[in-house]
Amino acid sequence: MSARDNHGTEAPWGEGFQVVGKRHRKVDGLAKATGQAVYADDIALPGMLHAKTLRSTHPHARIVSIDTSRALALEGVHAVITGESMPIKYGVIPWTPDENALAVDKVRFTGDEVAAVAAIDEDTANRALKLIDVVYEPLHTYLDPFESLERHDPAIHEENKRGNVSKHVELEFGDVDGALERADVVVEGDYFFHGTTHTPIEPHCAVAQWTQDGSAEGLLTVWSSTQITHYVQRALARVLELPEAKIRVVQPCLGGAFGGKSDPFSLEFCVAKLAMITGRPVKMLWTREEVFYAHRGRHPMHMHYRSGATKDGKLLATDAKILIDGGSYSSFGLVTTYYSGQLLTGPTHIENYRFDSTRVFTNKPPCGPKRGHGSVQPRFAFEIQLDELAHELGMDPIELRRRNWQGEHTTTVNGQRITSNGFMQCLDGVEEASDWKARYKKLPRGRGLGVAGSMYISGTNYPVYPNEMPQAGIQLKVDRSGLVTVFTGGNDIGQGSNSVVAYLVAEELGMDVDHIRVVAADTDLCPVDLGAYSSRVTFMVGNAAIDACRKLRAQIVAAVAEHWEVPEDRVRMGGGRVLDLADAEKTIPSREAFQIAEVRFDTLGATGSYNTPTLGGDYRGGTIGAAPAYSFTAHVVEVTVDEETGRITCDKVWVAHDCGRALNPTLVAGQIEGSVYMGIAEALLEDHDVNRFGLHRGPSLLDYRIPTSVDTPEIYSIIVESVDPEGPYGAKEAGEGPLHSAIPALANAVFDAVGIRMHHLPFTPGKVLVALRDERAARPEPVTGATR
Amino acid sequence: MLLPATLEEAVTALDKESTEPANEQKTRILAGGQDLLPELKDHLAEPETVVNVKGVAELGTDVRRSGDGFEIGALATIAALARNADVPAVLSEAAASIASPQVRTLATVAGNLCQRPRCWYYRSEHTVCLKKGGDECFAYAGLNKYNAILGGGPSYIVHPSDLAPALVALDAEVVTDRRTIAIGDFFTLPSESDPTRENVLGPDEIIREVAFTVAPGWRSVYVKFKERESFDFALSAVALALRLDGDEIAEARLVLGGVAPTPWRCRSTEELLRGRKIDDALAHEAGEDALGGAEPLEFNGYKIPLTKALIAKALRKLS
Amino acid sequence: MRVLELEVNGDQVEVGAPDHWTLLEVLRYRLGLYGSKQGCDKGDCGACTVLLDGEPVIACLTLAALCEGRRITTIEGLAPAHVRAGGRGPDPVQDAFDRCGALQCGFCQPGMMLSAWALLADNPTPTRGEINAALSGNLCRCTGYTQIVEAVELAIAEATGATPARPHWAKHESTPPKPASVDGREASR
Repeated sequence: MSARDNHGTEAPWGEGFQVVGKRHRKVDGLAKATGQAVYADDIALPGMLHAKTLRSTHPHARIVSIDTSRALALEGVHAVITGESMPIKYGVIPWTPDENALAVDKVRFTGDEVAAVAAIDEDTANRALKLIDVVYEPLHTYLDPFESLERHDPAIHEENKRGNVSKHVELEFGDVDGALERADVVVEGDYFFHGTTHTPIEPHCAVAQWTQDGSAEGLLTVWSSTQITHYVQRALARVLELPEAKIRVVQPCLGGAFGGKSDPFSLEFCVAKLAMITGRPVKMLWTREEVFYAHRGRHPMHMHYRSGATKDGKLLATDAKILIDGGSYSSFGLVTTYYSGQLLTGPTHIENYRFDSTRVFTNKPPCGPKRGHGSVQPRFAFEIQLDELAHELGMDPIELRRRNWQGEHTTTVNGQRITSNGFMQCLDGVEEASDWKARYKKLPRGRGLGVAGSMYISGTNYPVYPNEMPQAGIQLKVDRSGLVTVFTGGNDIGQGSNSVVAYLVAEELGMDVDHIRVVAADTDLCPVDLGAYSSRVTFMVGNAAIDACRKLRAQIVAAVAEHWEVPEDRVRMGGGRVLDLADAEKTIPSREAFQIAEVRFDTLGATGSYNTPTLGGDYRGGTIGAAPAYSFTAHVVEVTVDEETGRITCDKVWVAHDCGRALNPTLVAGQIEGSVYMGIAEALLEDHDVNRFGLHRGPSLLDYRIPTSVDTPEIYSIIVESVDPEGPYGAKEAGEGPLHSAIPALANAVFDAVGIRMHHLPFTPGKVLVALRDERAARPEPVTGATR
Repeated sequence: MLLPATLEEAVTALDKESTEPANEQKTRILAGGQDLLPELKDHLAEPETVVNVKGVAELGTDVRRSGDGFEIGALATIAALARNADVPAVLSEAAASIASPQVRTLATVAGNLCQRPRCWYYRSEHTVCLKKGGDECFAYAGLNKYNAILGGGPSYIVHPSDLAPALVALDAEVVTDRRTIAIGDFFTLPSESDPTRENVLGPDEIIREVAFTVAPGWRSVYVKFKERESFDFALSAVALALRLDGDEIAEARLVLGGVAPTPWRCRSTEELLRGRKIDDALAHEAGEDALGGAEPLEFNGYKIPLTKALIAKALRKLS
Repeated sequence: MRVLELEVNGDQVEVGAPDHWTLLEVLRYRLGLYGSKQGCDKGDCGACTVLLDGEPVIACLTLAALCEGRRITTIEGLAPAHVRAGGRGPDPVQDAFDRCGALQCGFCQPGMMLSAWALLADNPTPTRGEINAALSGNLCRCTGYTQIVEAVELAIAEATGATPARPHWAKHESTPPKPASVDGREASR
């Protein structure tokens, strides 16, 4: 890490923070509140055509022929494209390019994209889809990941050297078998985490325009509901065989993503190609059903875990074997496979650790990164095992976690550098707030408390394509009107990253947030940022913003000091003004200071960047999961289990999250609460799967149940600030970590309530009733009375 | 779309010769549109003509009460019914449990009784199941977590209406443009007639109103269990109406929702309840009796203990 | 094609639309009122909620032809109505949503705010349970509803002169930013 990347954790002007740490509006909040914010589907260009996608009706089939002539002949149809139009494969991870914009030769799941039509309106495009004649030769369908492990004829991806295995990782740290033999107590079990999907309320949408830019070549502009503008630009260039400089990708206001918009998607290529063919702007808006096919959601994982501890509760070893159902394409799967093992090694220290993870292809919608990518599933199994160990040992599960806490400024067993670590404060916080000591194991039968903890990356130290350039860049433009415009490639997906950038710049330049304008996620205007994934934006873009501000403010301070003929250390910026510390009379608005600096240094501006230090273990894959900082979370969940109906009601969740420093506590709490809600929903309601024909079992928001306001528990958030030495003013992520341990905490609470161990998600009333019946059958004698 | 002004015009506009599966009828009635529009959008229904009945003078939009008698107009909204403090609890509670506040604003009573199944094989554009004129109920050997445990075969849908079991518990009548049908005769099992339909309405028949009488001394309750607490259909539901004589049950009507292709009246259980005091033993007996004939499929066996529990809860609420 | 007369956000408008068009299509594609969002187009998410004669309805399940002569309020109509009534800046409900962080991605919120607005018009002092019930037809995927409820309760408290409840994470400064009517923020910023 270079010096430019580390700016200290203190307030920049030494007198306490002026902006940071307080509740603020978001920079785009009122635009959203009043309906003025422009999302992708709100873009309407003159002469715009509408495009629709023809999707495979087979889960696995060879395409024998496609005849588009009848569709092309339909009045109002302007273009029809198929896989032949764009045969170059791509993939968000450059090592695994196995996707086509439209299927070439074969389809791999029901819903795979086969052809696209541009027409004068959606109705016409839909009619045209019905006139495309596709002849399929059905192939053997893989719906069971265990079958994909055993069989690979026919292979889902013929070019894949490992049959239907997408990725296999096996790593061991220490001596697991030896440690388990030494252990006083060993717990072992099978766990299943089901498929869930992101379900942003905004469906994917893209608009393309092909314009002449003065050269013989055209200029392609794509507005897309993406969280990875930069990677979309690269993928478009590859597939369309255009220079990147001729492609502009813009992310308009985005209606939620959660990882579900972090792959390049078929519709971006299709609108681009159709715009290039027709010379007219083209929009494609996916239906809700199509969003379910696009998926890229949580990987189902079949997990076998074994953990051993000494009788005084010291965790000796954990051994994991995981089968990951990847669906039909790679997406981020290489990373998922590593993350399924690499991110488990904190906050609980595991002395000896082994994981053996295999991701296989199946003929289902492709899985990918969903909030807490790859690590929510193993966390579910592991935190239940810790609860089981505590139970076996007769130890309080919070105490067990305290005894095994890894500590601050340490290194994990798999070589990850841990810096700040507020997990103990997280545990203290939820223990106290939930009145744990008085209530755990003491509530009447049917009610229970459960605890769990977790760790997550705050940024990843690797760009998905290897390069040495900065991972985040910022440009500042200073206007003599008093306005500072910040240009950032960062993708604000609703988490408020544009606002965070504005707060940081306001803090650094002593300005009101109102005088900062943020221009973001436009590849023509903004320096590269890699995108909104791996919880990297606050950490990386934030540091880049401070970096740029430090350069700019040096100029402003120097110019004003010179103008006032005072030493520079007497000049302060704050409250929208520049002041002389030694002379209260001497104060000018920021605007005047900018003008003085502009006279002195010519047109003002500055750039800033961030790059991670070299991190990670010294072995193959050791850098995957290495992050410049980690966030920590603890949950206590309270449930009521209705033993008659099998309903688990999650009543309350206490969650403490170490986000380093809360730059705006409103936004941090919003991320924590949203994470908790999503985790509880995965535990109790949501289930993304296909039926025996490979067809999605219910691609609608009625059938895929996400919680309403009345399903959501009361959430008590506790913000823990460990102040990370390298984060912007010490900040770390808050958007993904607080999801993880909500789910095992709920499972552990169910055990406290009614004594059943739920290992297979989701915990539906039907499964609860079966588990209760089995538990009753296994009970030595009937329990009498309402208490235990 | 046609906008007839009278019932006669509306009936005339409908295709009375229709023999297609219900979803393929060439003419369809539109009232609140809260079920028809999703069917149109999913291409389950592609009628040539939609007959919008909101301007039909004879179709009431209100809930009228005269003494013990209630008449609910076909176009009365679910929201109005949910807010109505006069109607028996089983009906207002059932109404309040339906869908979401916005859907309840426009959805009508007649539309609710006539809504189509929620089975995902039916709702998928890509499958032609028995309900859509195909020859197989895919739920039978497929994903049937939400399907019928009672009265199933050859189709295993569950009737999605919440008002239906409530109205059966009130022994209501359905008044159409041409006849009055006891509600117990209104819904049809797939084994009894055309399995693409859920009721006896002719293709050109229009519900005018629903009527029932509530004699003094009756109390009622609707207990609905859904996976999601709002905006969801019943996994199982119990509509229970009782007339108590002191603490003894003098008369009872017990109807299950969400477990059968029709609202499922439990007549033998009603007999069992008569003359008994409500206690845990009776609740247990009632559940055992009501579910005695249940035949679960692979994934819906949980509905048996669940429904027994709901029967017990309903009895406790009225004790 | 049918010509419809509608009252939209206080304006009398005449629009031509095919019979099968929904109110959402008319609002977005004929009137350019893009504030009403399409999240599912099947009535399952509530993002397109608008008020029809003051009652919340799902615009994607409401045939435009059924709205002839009726009064429609979209998210774009709230702030101007507030200003016409002598207020400053955005409607207090919109303002409270912004101040409490209830707008993350913002996509579901036009519908959410209209549901909240309709609730408060009908019942100015709802309980927490009534708020949750009134909003239960509007799916939000970002917030876990907590800051939404905080916003509604803030709007209620300020309208009735009560003290707003503090959020649970109140170790930090928990007072939300000042309302727009105080800090002079205009709706059109």
